[in-house]
Amino acid sequence: MPGMADVTGDSFSASLIRAAFLAQIRWKALKSPTARRYMDLHALSAALDLFKPGAIVPWVSYLFPTELLTSYKLTPMIPEIGSATLTGSDLREPVESAAARMPLARDVCSYHRIALAAVENDMLPAPTMCLGTTPLCLGKECLLELLATRHNVPFRELRVPLPPDEGEAAPEVVADVADQMRVLHEDIGRWTGRKPDLRKAIELSNRASTAWGHIMSERLAGRLEMNGRSTFATVFLGQLLWGTEEGAKDFERLLTEKGRRDLMAPALGGGRKLKRLLWLHTVPHHDAELFAMIQEHGAVVIFEEMGQMHLETVDPEDPFPGLAKRLTDNVMWGSSARRARLNVALAKQLNVDGAVHFNHWGCRHGLGSVPVVRAAFMEAGIPFLAVDGDALARGGPQQEKSRQAMESFLELL
Amino acid sequence: MPDCYYTCNLIPLDLVARNGYSPRWLGNHLRDGDAPARREALSIHPMTCPFVTKLVAAADELLADGVAGDGDDRLVVAGGCDAMRRMGDLLAATHPERTFVLPMPRSSGPEVEHRLAADLRRLDEWLAPVGSAADRGGATGASTAVPADPPTVDYPEPPRPGGVFLVAGPLSDDSLLRLIGRLGSHVSGLDSCTSPDRWKPLAPTSGEVATSQTASPSLDYAALAARALEAGMCPRRSTGQRRDHLVRRLDETRPTSIIYARQSFCDPGAYDALLVAALAAERHLPYLEIEVDFPFDANGPLHTRVEAFLEAQLLDDDLLGDLGEDDLFSEKG
Repeated sequence: MPGMADVTGDSFSASLIRAAFLAQIRWKALKSPTARRYMDLHALSAALDLFKPGAIVPWVSYLFPTELLTSYKLTPMIPEIGSATLTGSDLREPVESAAARMPLARDVCSYHRIALAAVENDMLPAPTMCLGTTPLCLGKECLLELLATRHNVPFRELRVPLPPDEGEAAPEVVADVADQMRVLHEDIGRWTGRKPDLRKAIELSNRASTAWGHIMSERLAGRLEMNGRSTFATVFLGQLLWGTEEGAKDFERLLTEKGRRDLMAPALGGGRKLKRLLWLHTVPHHDAELFAMIQEHGAVVIFEEMGQMHLETVDPEDPFPGLAKRLTDNVMWGSSARRARLNVALAKQLNVDGAVHFNHWGCRHGLGSVPVVRAAFMEAGIPFLAVDGDALARGGPQQEKSRQAMESFLELL
Repeated sequence: MPDCYYTCNLIPLDLVARNGYSPRWLGNHLRDGDAPARREALSIHPMTCPFVTKLVAAADELLADGVAGDGDDRLVVAGGCDAMRRMGDLLAATHPERTFVLPMPRSSGPEVEHRLAADLRRLDEWLAPVGSAADRGGATGASTAVPADPPTVDYPEPPRPGGVFLVAGPLSDDSLLRLIGRLGSHVSGLDSCTSPDRWKPLAPTSGEVATSQTASPSLDYAALAARALEAGMCPRRSTGQRRDHLVRRLDETRPTSIIYARQSFCDPGAYDALLVAALAAERHLPYLEIEVDFPFDANGPLHTRVEAFLEAQLLDDDLLGDLGEDDLFSEKG
């Protein structure tokens, strides 16, 4: 089995190893043709292309409208996904050592800290451009602009005003963000010298959105019970594929029972009902034990807050307003009161038994909203637990503490 | 006259005063740490910077009915970073009629100014509705004298070249500057949102100052916004603009070393410290990053670290001086 360093090299032998590695992943997907398997294959394949010599590498924020890139046949490099992937690979120890040597404070978001250490030590490809969005946090904007400065490449930020606590963003706000996107899309063409096919990218993205939107509405209606933890991982990787042919096909695979069979919520024997949990914010990517314990206690993460994106299609004739609206009205953007209101409504709609907020290490945006979110859940009479942790951690005293807190919470339920 | 507490010097104080409020920097009104907390006092996550943590406690106490202050007191939070924005959210949720969160952009340009100007208008309107400015003893003239309650940080002695350039977040007092003096060095410059040069009021630059209940169309919000963006070149700002600002400050002050006093759990400070470290390396200046509390505490390990850093430089200076006097290095005639 090749290591990450073997498949990300830029030599001829590395390209052969990469081809063999992807062939192996493809074989696995062929044997078990689920959306998840194919999403893994296609996301990995696209991401590995970023390591090829001469590749254009756009570093972007998690919520960046990647269709602007796929219209130029560019794959985004998303720091959170890069960090989660590396720390789950054989490069975990080297990248953690590199992060420890780095002068950046240890109390910042670990996704961003690891990403910086990785790119500075050739474990992730250096940026050709850095493209941010004010949603969701300031830290990643600091990271992206710092990278742009260090590598002397363009930096752009889509400025997205906060939405109102009630209702939707004003039309002029959406129009302003749409205009910024339009200009940026042209800039990308100028920087890369490529010709875009935005219409095709939007049509492919719409195919994926139609499928994903349908799945999500079925889940919300209670007609489809999927495992929120596994689904999160799939959608997380899927961020690399919006607007691509592969992404469209992979999301459409979710529409069949066969295609989503490894994402379904477990069933208890004897007609017993599972305790249903709503998961807020990101997940601990490498802590399988926490979720195994949830299942052992007869519970399941039935829905994930962060899966609520790309639920509507956008107009291929004039895509910028639709893409802008996805940012201006993103469920995670806005005040804590807005986030609390939307999540309580979601919890009621899903009829969950409790909600869990993952306080990711260093995420001021997420954990800063917890007091308001907790108060709203308490007022609604819905059990709420906030667990501290690091989305990239594997073991350690913090995780042990989180597991104990989770165990007590599950027993309480 | 009710008080309007504020968190950041980018809040235009004249705008607060003209609506009949006495502007007060919240950092000057921290609650006594030894005093028992109210049972219903707000709590926030420990992974939050000490500045925000202390301000939440202070504001919650000041705004809580019947606990302290005037029932008409208000709070304006400048949401420049995620932690401060979330502080505003929490206080707005707890004291909804009395808290205003002003979004603070990190970039600049005409569109950004336009957006900030609109937000300043909203702030003006929010401050206005209860009674007229005159009812509350506020300003009635064309020009407003702003009651001063700014941070008390000032240079203990005039800054001069050849010393330490200090970069910091908000400081509660001048004890770090004094510490540097006590340790045999001096300060060449201070770049902090609480440094004296940053406490110029952002006065309206055109039009009459209104006294009516509603926001005055003559108040130039755009000019206020432009000045706020120009003055507020703090760590949360765009890296490029911040870098230009720091380069200019370093050129002006000509220091021989740089100390970065960063608050724990401060995201903008963490990335800014990398930028400042790079600038120090470019200029071959010794650089030290220290983690500080709010209020500032100059004792303990922090004192030792600063002392060791400054001593090492004095030692270097002495050695270089000796080498200069040595025949080996002196120029032969």
